[in-house]
Amino acid sequence: MRIGEIVETMSTGFVAESFELNRPPPLGSLVVVRLPAEAGETSSGMDLYAVVTYGQTVGLDPSRRAVRRSTDTVFDQAIYQEHPELNRTLRTEFGATLVGFFADGQLRQHLPSQPPPLHFSVQSASPEEVQRFTDRLHYLRLLLAPYGQVSPLQVLAANVREVYQQRDYDRVWLDTAAREIATLLKNDHEALLTVLHAIDPGESYDRSGGGEPT
Amino acid sequence: MNQKMLGLVVDGTFSGGLTARLNPGTTTEQLRIGNFVVVEGQRNRYFSLISDIHLKATDPRLLADPPRDTSPFIAQTLVGTSTYATVEVRPMLMLEKVDESDVDAVLGERTGPEPVRTIPMHFAELREATELDFATVFGKEGGTNFAMGTPLAMDIPICLKLGRFVERSNGVFGQSGTGKSFLARLIISGVIKTKVAVNLIFDMHDEYSFDKQTEDGHWVKGLRQIFGSKVLIYSLDEEMGRRTGRNVDVTLKIGLNQIEEADIVLLSEELNLRQTAEATIGLLRDAFRGKWLLELLKMTPEDLGDFCQRSGAHPASMAALQRNLKRLQRQEYVVDEASFSALDDMVEALDRGKHVILQFGRHNTVLDYVLVSNLVTRRVRQRYEEKMRRYEETKEVADEPRPLMITIEEAHKFLNPAVARQTTFGTIAREMRKYNVTLLVIDQRPSGIDAEVMSQLGTRVSGKLTEERDIEAVLTGVSNRSALRGALASLDTRQQILIMGHAVPMPIMMRTRQYDESFYRAMGARVGITRDAETDIRDLFGDQ
Amino acid sequence: MPLELGPISQQVDNMAQTIVDLLPAEEGFLARAQDCLRSADADALRQKLEWQHRQQIRIPWLVATPRLSLSGTVPSPSPPSDFSVVGIDASSIPPDRHSSIRYYVLNVGYALLSYGRQPDAVLEASSQLCFQDEQLYVFPQKRDVPIEGTLLSARMEVESLRVLQKMLRSISRPTVALRDGPLILWTLQNESKEVQHVLLHDLLEAMAFLRQTGVPLAGYISYTGSRDVANSLRVWLCQGRPNECERCESDNRDLCLALARIRDRDLFAFLAEGDRSELFGSSSQILEEYGEHRVDFFYMNVGGEIVRVEVPRWVGSDVDLLGFLHAAIYDQCQRSPGFPPYPPALLEAHEQAVITAAERRLVEQMVEQALGQHGQRVVRSAKDDSKRRRGI
Repeated sequence: MRIGEIVETMSTGFVAESFELNRPPPLGSLVVVRLPAEAGETSSGMDLYAVVTYGQTVGLDPSRRAVRRSTDTVFDQAIYQEHPELNRTLRTEFGATLVGFFADGQLRQHLPSQPPPLHFSVQSASPEEVQRFTDRLHYLRLLLAPYGQVSPLQVLAANVREVYQQRDYDRVWLDTAAREIATLLKNDHEALLTVLHAIDPGESYDRSGGGEPT
Repeated sequence: MNQKMLGLVVDGTFSGGLTARLNPGTTTEQLRIGNFVVVEGQRNRYFSLISDIHLKATDPRLLADPPRDTSPFIAQTLVGTSTYATVEVRPMLMLEKVDESDVDAVLGERTGPEPVRTIPMHFAELREATELDFATVFGKEGGTNFAMGTPLAMDIPICLKLGRFVERSNGVFGQSGTGKSFLARLIISGVIKTKVAVNLIFDMHDEYSFDKQTEDGHWVKGLRQIFGSKVLIYSLDEEMGRRTGRNVDVTLKIGLNQIEEADIVLLSEELNLRQTAEATIGLLRDAFRGKWLLELLKMTPEDLGDFCQRSGAHPASMAALQRNLKRLQRQEYVVDEASFSALDDMVEALDRGKHVILQFGRHNTVLDYVLVSNLVTRRVRQRYEEKMRRYEETKEVADEPRPLMITIEEAHKFLNPAVARQTTFGTIAREMRKYNVTLLVIDQRPSGIDAEVMSQLGTRVSGKLTEERDIEAVLTGVSNRSALRGALASLDTRQQILIMGHAVPMPIMMRTRQYDESFYRAMGARVGITRDAETDIRDLFGDQ
Repeated sequence: MPLELGPISQQVDNMAQTIVDLLPAEEGFLARAQDCLRSADADALRQKLEWQHRQQIRIPWLVATPRLSLSGTVPSPSPPSDFSVVGIDASSIPPDRHSSIRYYVLNVGYALLSYGRQPDAVLEASSQLCFQDEQLYVFPQKRDVPIEGTLLSARMEVESLRVLQKMLRSISRPTVALRDGPLILWTLQNESKEVQHVLLHDLLEAMAFLRQTGVPLAGYISYTGSRDVANSLRVWLCQGRPNECERCESDNRDLCLALARIRDRDLFAFLAEGDRSELFGSSSQILEEYGEHRVDFFYMNVGGEIVRVEVPRWVGSDVDLLGFLHAAIYDQCQRSPGFPPYPPALLEAHEQAVITAAERRLVEQMVEQALGQHGQRVVRSAKDDSKRRRGI
């Protein structure tokens, strides 16, 4: 399902405009840009994977700032009913950091040689794709330099939480990811604790559902 | 192979040892200093000992502010990642690896483990030692490979090569209460069973011959009860010899004529001799030759005076000397003249394959022990020297004297730096089996033993030691000292020993074998029969 | 840059003081003027104005003829449950006098906002590059009367209505059309009749279409500076001739002079929020050419300011259309996020219409490039070049 269109693109990531106002894809979730096969190039197309690292809603015209519109009787969602021009003058965009790609039957977790083309569609990755991609954790280090002005720690934590949920609360995976992050952040204990607190599943171990051990 | 992986090598030098980072799943508490571990290099397998353990953290700030009240999830994540442990590992032996799939190489002739000549590269795996590793290094039980015990957490035998053991003098050490006499019993039993040597044991506290009650209250068998008539019991104490069920074969008498100057000097402290004693004795010897002692003791005060005048000896010294030496005469087992034949017969018995235990009975003061042991040993060694020279001439196999191992306790009395040069034992230790005679010294104060003697001890078996200087003494002349220091200090008071030296390919910590029914059976003793009947049967039918 | 801010700031201060000092007096006159508005007889005034018109007495100011009463107010009705408001605005890149190529760009922005059960918004712009003679000159065959300055403004307004006309072909619910600014093209006053005729032709055609479609059109003037009604009050007070004030000996002379400074937006400050005044006819001469689409106006309190709304007569005289328009304007102002309120439809239309400096430069580059590809160079005047370069 297409959820957005790329409006800025760079080797490290891209910004896409969301099709639905005020609803960018969840922070840390995995999205994919599907590239068709090129004539004479790789035998099949390439799927670029990226992790959503921020979302924002701004005016289409950067010089126009949002103003307060609520009244005693009209507020929240009703505002969009009463001011239909908002759907045309606002846009929701999200930034995503490239974390790998799938091409020629191989999954790689490093930056692709080309950034994704402008105006191409962005889709949410399917649960199967998430499972397959996150079986390997090398991509986590790419999140240490996320696209956009976001704290890499929060992005890491958001991604781990998202994937954990999408993998049906696979506890084994969570523990492995936590240890991988502990290795990545070995020199900054405070940063590590920030992330660990944010991904701690809590005392409820009964959350680990039918996920298969990796 | 289901071996437990412990970690990976991350640093190290040839001279200083290797550092391995423990895997996250491995806790420091499952390892101990002195553990036998294996490092798998690319070309070689390194049999090693753990010499130190360190705790580390990837970010020192973690240590300034350790996590309190964290969830189990966070705590378990930090273990092995932000916090980790390293072990210092000292390779002792290395074995060239063969390609497992190369059948010729596997089946072909392989030399055993060699001394370490190199170190493995980074990230070599560190693992626990398996049965196969122990067998590769220490060999399987059988022949002259005598099982001394098992690894601390496994149930496979670690063997002492008794053939090599008796090639040198050896030592059994450990602070009091660590069961040195049991260790000695194990070793001597092994020597008896494998027939690599004959034993002469100076049994100061009557521990080795017959059964004895331990601290815990149960009874353990004596060597006589296990090996029957293979073992001869000599005694200084006539009365003891007459007790039932504890038959003594020979009662020994010592003649004043057998006592030499060296014996007296050795007993300076015990006899309370003055410094002038040696000089005085010299004068006596000049005058009376071999009978000097007898003559001295016979002298009346006038005789003393005359002698002093004649020889220039100091009267007070002479009087004191006579007074002190009269003690000797008063000993029950001392007679004026004794023949050496008893001792020579003993040597002949040893040469026929018998083992001799000399009990002291009631005469077990330090004076008795030192005097008799030194004197007897001198004679024995002398006879051995003669036999050896004869053998060198005739080159007849039958003429070669059997290797003899002499066991002495309180060894520091004979081998301390002051007297080591003068005692027979010191001589034997330095001669290193020149005449097929070696020592087994037992002591709880190894720091009291002369360093040169200590360095001649081929194999050292040690229980727990806590005194720094004792530990240093035991490790004299041993390579990889730093690795073993920690191991020695960490042994349990009971049943844990460290063996290093000539008779083991590499130093090893172990739990000693139990000296119990199964052991007796293994040594060939009949169990389930009463003590008396046992010895009777042996006497009648000879040993099995 | 060389502006001397020091002396100026002092003068600004003086000015502020002067204004403040005059306020109390001003307020007094305003109250009297409002009384006058209430007390004046609308019929009598109408007759007086008509008589003066017949006598061809020239009144040097614009006066408003009350269609009904002077001070009557009408509250806003409720808008229908589903309706749309379309706002239009236009801007241009005027012809560049310093360039050898003659063209201009028109950008009409419109915002169609629909409310009710299916809210929706369409925000678009319609741009065109005008370079052909028909677009550049009022009389293209003679290449006479270039379209620029006030003519260009008029052209823009006409163009916006044409665009409005096009997009209104597909509406489905009751719609109100608003434009920012007057419907009375008084700037054309001084042009020749031929020019007026050419320019107004399309405008009136569009207005006819709107009338036919039933879409009321209005010009929305915020912060209006008009004084039409105030001027009418002066006529009312005048006992002589309106252009002979030096000889006036009336008691109300001071009030009359004060009315010369009072603006209609202050005069009608008494309007309650949402209420409008009655309709007034304008005396603007250009309206002679409007025919059936002659434009009237009223004032309205949109909640924070008094605005002037200009409507064609066919809206003013249709109770339903006028009521719908009134309701729609008030509704729009209630949806406005800012203060004083401004109809969102016009705000968005303006945003669509605006041409940024960067866009302007882009068009110039495109023109130069295209001409370059066809082998032509764009020649600029020396003055223009020096302004661009601004070399030291």
